[in-house]
Amino acid sequence: MIKKLLNPFVYIAGGYSLLIGLLIIFCTSVIGYYSNIHFPDILSVKTGPDYPVSYYILQSIANWMVISTILYLFAVVFSKSKIRLIDIFGTQALSRFPYLFTALIGFSNSMDKFGRYILWQLLEQGNPVDMSAGTMTIAIVLIIVTLFLTVWMVALMFNAFKVAANIKGPKLIILFITSLILSIALSAFFTNQLIKLF
Amino acid sequence: MNKKLPVLCPSCNSELKVQSLHCDNCETTINGLYHLPLLLKLDQKDQDFIILFIQSSGSLKIMAQKLKFSYPTVRNMLDDLIKKITKLQTEIS
Repeated sequence: MIKKLLNPFVYIAGGYSLLIGLLIIFCTSVIGYYSNIHFPDILSVKTGPDYPVSYYILQSIANWMVISTILYLFAVVFSKSKIRLIDIFGTQALSRFPYLFTALIGFSNSMDKFGRYILWQLLEQGNPVDMSAGTMTIAIVLIIVTLFLTVWMVALMFNAFKVAANIKGPKLIILFITSLILSIALSAFFTNQLIKLF
Repeated sequence: MNKKLPVLCPSCNSELKVQSLHCDNCETTINGLYHLPLLLKLDQKDQDFIILFIQSSGSLKIMAQKLKFSYPTVRNMLDDLIKKITKLQTEIS
C-alpha cells in the first residue's frame, strides 16, 4: 500500500495519469481559490491574494508545465530509453495529488492567523493578533501536515521521473535536483508575470 | 514441481555447462560438453517476459495490459533485459 502511495506510476502512466492529474490540478486550483491557498512556485504554499479563480488555475498549470518541460528535456538528452512526452507530463500531473489536501487545509484560518501572529510578535508588522493555545496547536499541526504533504509530493515527482525516464543512480538524483531548482526559479518568475496580468 | 535450472556453479560461481542429455523414452544418454544457450542463462522471470513479449506480438501496450503495469514500467523492464542480454553476449564473445 505504501509503495503504491509513493510510486503509483508502476501501475498508472500515460494518458490515464494525465487525465486524472489535470482533474487534480483543476480541483486544487478551485479549492485553493475558495480556501485562499495558492502555490507561487512548484513547492511553496501561501495564503492567497484576492485574485479571480483563473489566476489560481493558470498558476497551477504553469507550475506543472515548467517542471514537466524541464524533466522531459533532461529525459530526452540523458535517457537511453525511448521517452514519451505523455508519460512525463501525465505522471508529473498526477504527482500534484498531495497538494489537493494542502488546498483543503486553507479552510482552517488558523495558519493564516498564526502567520499574522508571528509577524506581529517578531517583526511588529500588521495588527496585534490574539491567539488561543488551541488555535496555535491546530496551526502547528497543520504546518507539520503541509510539510509532510510537500515531502510526499516531491517523492511522487521523483518516482514519476524515475519511471517515465528510466534513469537510475546518481544521474537520476542530480538531474532531479537540478530540475527542481530550475523549476522553482522559473515557476516563481511565471507567477510574478501572472500577477502583473491580474 | 518446477525445478530451477542452475546456470552458475554453487561452489565457485562460474558458469555451468551441459555435460549430459537424457532421453526418457529410450533411456539414451548423450555425454559431451555443451554451452547453455543465451536465453537459458537468463532467470525465469526474464524468460517469462520474453515469452509474453512474443505472445503479445512485441506490443508493449498489450504486455502492460496483461501484466497490469504502466507502459513505461514495461518498457523499462524491456530496456533492462536488453542490457542484460548485451552483457551476456559480450561475455560469450
